[in-house]
Amino acid sequence: MKILVPCKRVPDPDQKLRLNAETVGIDPAALTYILNPFDAIAVEEALRIRETAHPDAEVIAVSIAPAEGEADLRTALAMGADRALLIEHNDPTDPWNVARLLAAVIEHEQPTLVLMGKQAVDDDANQTGQFLAAQLGWPQATFASQIEFIDDGIRVHRETDLGIEVIRTTLPAIVTADLRLNEPRYASLPSILRAKKKSIEQTTPAKLGVQLELRVRLIGMELINSQRHCEKVETASNLLAKLRETEVVG
Amino acid sequence: MTEDLSREIFGNLGETSKTIFYALAAVSSGVFAWGVWRRVKLWRRGRPDNEPIKWREAFQNIRNRALAQRALRGARPKASFAHRILFWGFLVLFIGTILVSIEHYSAAALGREATDPLFHKGVYFVIYEITLDTFGLLMIGGAVWFARRRMRADSSMEHRTADWLVLASLIILGVTGYFIEGLRIIRESTPMPGISFVGYGFSKIFVAAGVGKSNVDSIHFGLWWFHSVVAFGFIAALPFCRLAHAIAAVFSLATTPKPLGQMEPISMEEVEETGEVGVGRLEQFTQRDLLQLDACVSCGRCEDLCPAYEAGKPLSPRDLVQDLRMHMEGAAPAVLHGETIGAETLWACTTCNACNDICPLGVRPADYITDLRRHLIGEGELRGAPATSLQKMQRAGNPWGLPAQDRLKWADGLDVPTVANNPDFDVLYWVGCSAAYDRRTMKVARAVAQLLQRAQVNFAVLGPEERCTGESARRIGDEFLFQELAATNIETFTKHNVRKIVTHCPHCLNSLRQDYPQFDGHYEVIHHTQFLGELVAANKLKAAAVMNETVTYHDPCYLARVNGITDAPRTLLPDNLKEMPRSGCQTACCGAGGGRMWFDDPAEERTGTGRITEALDTGAKTVAVSCPFCLTMMTDGVATKNDQVKVRDVSELMLEDN
Repeated sequence: MKILVPCKRVPDPDQKLRLNAETVGIDPAALTYILNPFDAIAVEEALRIRETAHPDAEVIAVSIAPAEGEADLRTALAMGADRALLIEHNDPTDPWNVARLLAAVIEHEQPTLVLMGKQAVDDDANQTGQFLAAQLGWPQATFASQIEFIDDGIRVHRETDLGIEVIRTTLPAIVTADLRLNEPRYASLPSILRAKKKSIEQTTPAKLGVQLELRVRLIGMELINSQRHCEKVETASNLLAKLRETEVVG
Repeated sequence: MTEDLSREIFGNLGETSKTIFYALAAVSSGVFAWGVWRRVKLWRRGRPDNEPIKWREAFQNIRNRALAQRALRGARPKASFAHRILFWGFLVLFIGTILVSIEHYSAAALGREATDPLFHKGVYFVIYEITLDTFGLLMIGGAVWFARRRMRADSSMEHRTADWLVLASLIILGVTGYFIEGLRIIRESTPMPGISFVGYGFSKIFVAAGVGKSNVDSIHFGLWWFHSVVAFGFIAALPFCRLAHAIAAVFSLATTPKPLGQMEPISMEEVEETGEVGVGRLEQFTQRDLLQLDACVSCGRCEDLCPAYEAGKPLSPRDLVQDLRMHMEGAAPAVLHGETIGAETLWACTTCNACNDICPLGVRPADYITDLRRHLIGEGELRGAPATSLQKMQRAGNPWGLPAQDRLKWADGLDVPTVANNPDFDVLYWVGCSAAYDRRTMKVARAVAQLLQRAQVNFAVLGPEERCTGESARRIGDEFLFQELAATNIETFTKHNVRKIVTHCPHCLNSLRQDYPQFDGHYEVIHHTQFLGELVAANKLKAAAVMNETVTYHDPCYLARVNGITDAPRTLLPDNLKEMPRSGCQTACCGAGGGRMWFDDPAEERTGTGRITEALDTGAKTVAVSCPFCLTMMTDGVATKNDQVKVRDVSELMLEDN
């Protein structure tokens, strides 16, 4: 059994982001990247499946990133993934084309299960898993908070706005991980060093035979002013007066 | 008149008896030696200890802690007293027996008759008899006391059936010894029998009960053999029962204990070679660690002080050591991690060092824990909030993962000098992550900086160049994250020619003092309370004035117990300080050490809730602290119980009066 885990490289959300000079992206200077936390949850789930239900499972991490993206694949390897594949690509992409690249890899690798984060914490698009299922014609179970293996496939608990929805699907399938699926393990330096001995396979969109045709183009970005002004008012009528003053209420 | 004073050794015993006696002695010593060797073999499963034995210190340690029984100070006064009299009684009787054998063999070697002793006579004999009769009573008294204690004990006292045998043997040996002495006095008509005052008393009773010249020989003979057989059995059983602690203790105390708060570094080369970190299997402990498991007599003094145990967490340092000991003996379960010792037990420890400090025989429960934690970290067993904090330390150099550029936010509007704009500073103020990013602790840094400015100290801060010391990473078990952070900081210190560091964080202080020198970072590191104390002494600042309301002070573990700094903060506080029952070096942990700071327990379930109650019970309206972790824990804990009480750093209280 093969489990494929797409891993996205995202800017560290705790760090301060600056726009680039053209205001069509983030200034890459002094920017640090991490493995998308939802993808880390997906990696963890794949490892747990290997540790419990399917000891024969092979866990493959895949990333589409510039050459430096290797570092984040190392994190997945340090956590315990068996192999990693880097699709080297420097230019912007969009979810549809990411799905196409992944579909090409999937055609080659033939995994039984694709486990990925429900969304990436940079653009929060929440589309790649769904597009990928559509392109492959596979069943999908998004926002998973629990995955169980049953005779003919898997049973997945989905976190929806209305509550937990339990669905059953055959395999192969696409499952996207929600926050409560698990708590990822901590990869310490020795395991990162050990992971350095594992090789990372390299490929490119061209080698995969995919010509990227962007459907989404980023036109511009702007920073929101998050400076807040706080003031303590004594009474409710004072509050109302203030709100009228600032034209929050009429 | 004292010339005739003596007694015949092996009196009333024929050659056959002597032969049987020596045969039994040989068997008994053989079993004893075999029993000890069995344990030694278990200890030798560990890694060789590279630390050479420092004979002078070993000798002092054994003299002070074992012979003088000084290690028992500070807790359980009654049991300690009983142990002392039992031990000293036993020791003196043991020495007495050796003196008798020296007399016997040297007299025999010189061809003297049994009735013509070499030195076991006269004044020496008087002193000998009085001393031994006295110490015999002490031994019996101690044993009886312990037996009574064991009868009344609740389930918290670890108990084995063999413990009764140990106490019974000691009492029987003592009492029959006096009986035999009494019978000997009747038999030999020893002059001045009063010097053997207990035996003499018994001789009177025996005479009254009808013992006389006609029957004394056979009764003496029978009782003498009973006494001897019990003694041989006792010697043979020693390495197999609880008293084995006395044997292991000699070895344990002979190894020089590390100062509290110091950890053994691991090298990356070692890990690359073995592929393993920390202790995953028993054999990865050192031989010293393993022999110390046998020194544990399961007294439970550590458990009495353990803050995790007090808070109902799944950790008792005593049980941990005993479980490891059983595991070493090969008792089930055969798997160390997960079965013998659970991960939750290991994570529960705050490394407050109370157990390491109290153990009379030098066992270091918390050190086993940190060694075992290293393995868990290496295996990726840490999850959730603390794992996230370590990840953030790894990528951003602070447990919150926040930008290094924000490290001076606390100093907004204060004009605090940095190493960049004041390169000729005398002292570096180490701010630490908590004061750099936590809004509450920022106020502490502001207070310290303002006090330093008012006293016109030539100081500087590192600002964006500062990184987490790695203290909590190291104690949670992530040795290499710590080493990486330490290397970065040491490089920064070198770059700015840092020699003297003042910090308001005892964890940073201990790390800079005890961890960094292991990686060639040698600095003079002092706590802000010490530095502010110097400034007060030099009349550059004033201590906090007496307040109308009661103030109590909570000693941080890493400041007081680990680094012995208890006076400095008190000199800065008002005189009307109301002390908590556990204070100074005997402080109780707030619950945040050893990386526990990064675990997201709800305030009411945290280790240290007992400490909050203790602080509030003083009736204090202000709880003074001198550690950012204690500040957080105390503030959160107090808030769940009494919102009228304020928690303040010592420097904040001082700022009000300067």
